[in-house]
Amino acid sequence: MKALQIVKYGEIKDSLAFNEVSKPAVQPTDVLIEVKAAAINPIDKSIVLGNLQGLLPIPFPSTSAYDVSGIVVEKGNDVSNFEIGDLVYSRVPQEQMGTIAEYVAVTSEAVSKKPGNISFEEAAGIPLAGLTALQSLEFAGIKANDRILIHAGSGGVGSLAIQYAKAKGAYVYTTTSTDNVEWVKELGADRVIDYKTEDYKTIVKDVDIVYDTLGQEYTSEAFQVVKQGGQVISVVGPLDEETAHMFGMADYQLPEELATLSAEKEASYKFIFMHPNGAHLAEIKTMIEDERIKPIVDTIYPFAESIAAFTHLATGRAKGKIVIKIN
Amino acid sequence: MIRQGQQVQNVYFVTDGCLRSYCYDKNGKEHTLQFAIKNWWISDYIAIHSDESATLTVECLKESEVVKFNAKALEKMYTLFPEYEPFQRKILERHVVSLNKRILNQLQLTATERYTLFITQYPEIEQYTHNYHIASYLGITQESLSRIRVEKAKH
Repeated sequence: MKALQIVKYGEIKDSLAFNEVSKPAVQPTDVLIEVKAAAINPIDKSIVLGNLQGLLPIPFPSTSAYDVSGIVVEKGNDVSNFEIGDLVYSRVPQEQMGTIAEYVAVTSEAVSKKPGNISFEEAAGIPLAGLTALQSLEFAGIKANDRILIHAGSGGVGSLAIQYAKAKGAYVYTTTSTDNVEWVKELGADRVIDYKTEDYKTIVKDVDIVYDTLGQEYTSEAFQVVKQGGQVISVVGPLDEETAHMFGMADYQLPEELATLSAEKEASYKFIFMHPNGAHLAEIKTMIEDERIKPIVDTIYPFAESIAAFTHLATGRAKGKIVIKIN
Repeated sequence: MIRQGQQVQNVYFVTDGCLRSYCYDKNGKEHTLQFAIKNWWISDYIAIHSDESATLTVECLKESEVVKFNAKALEKMYTLFPEYEPFQRKILERHVVSLNKRILNQLQLTATERYTLFITQYPEIEQYTHNYHIASYLGITQESLSRIRVEKAKH
């Protein structure tokens, strides 16, 4: 079968190539998905560039990407929750990475039926960003009338986090650039801050939760706008100590600046490490079918133009997801 | 109860609940062919009568109670006991009438009229279904359905 593979670390055009590879083997707990669409995320680009070789080293060649939608065409003997012919979507686990291919084998625990009211292409763009948003805001225990700041409302995670937070009844502040203000408003955000003309720090005060999807100075600035005793949740900032210990970094300490800020505000800081989860995807499926969440697709590329899709992703200017139609 | 692509052996008579038959298009979107509530029959008749695998999926939209009949056994029964034949004919006629009406409505009525007719005829179905079930039954987008509902609420 044909697959887009990472052949080395480095520039996108030099490091990705189409190869003929064998169909993946199906383990007893796996389903084999005939891929209809795959989507790419910032992490896929970072892996190609080699920025994550310390944390997620990969053998060469490796088929790229994690997000997928398609049809179950084969299943392992231990799989009871799916049938051949089911239409599904998934964020595949690290060890099964490789969705830009004609087939991918995935442990059934990471798979869910896809929402029935959206296309394969729209569904492929949901898993990684949707799981990140859901797991972050669920950890924060978001509830009706909470006030939350969600950074980068037009991003893959931000756009879904806004809709999830609104579905839970929260009041949502979000930041975005001038071009995106209108459509981000349409996602339901209560106060859309144009970061090119407004300073969010003078508008957002004492929120219950800050959801940091940008990192760097935004992580520490979060403590200026969160309320005393509030929560800062990040998917890009430094690891928190508990998470680092879980990954075996026994001596890890939160950077001093963050530790001080967090102590002063008595506000918690938590790094969320997204994990594949079919049950969570099933929850998102229901929310999509109930029209509480809608998928946002920027561009759909044909399989043969997958490398152009990565170059587009690298611009960081996509409004919603970049999707590759496989079959 | 029936899955697209599988063999179909049974037809179902609904004694309680609400079911739906639908198919997927090549983009993975669902299209609803039929809803079935109390006293209705549902199956994939295309598969049964052409001996092909199912083109439809049949699912319950709420907890339902059905009587399952093996299609071949039913057929045999009608041969053995011809007095049941008119009963079968009545079922088929009703089915044909409702399908004809559905096709004509689709051809003649506006989206708003189709929706109005649907909720007048089957007010109970709406409570068990997602918007997209009804939208895909009427052959309109979810956005159009929402718009029609808002318009209706105004009047």
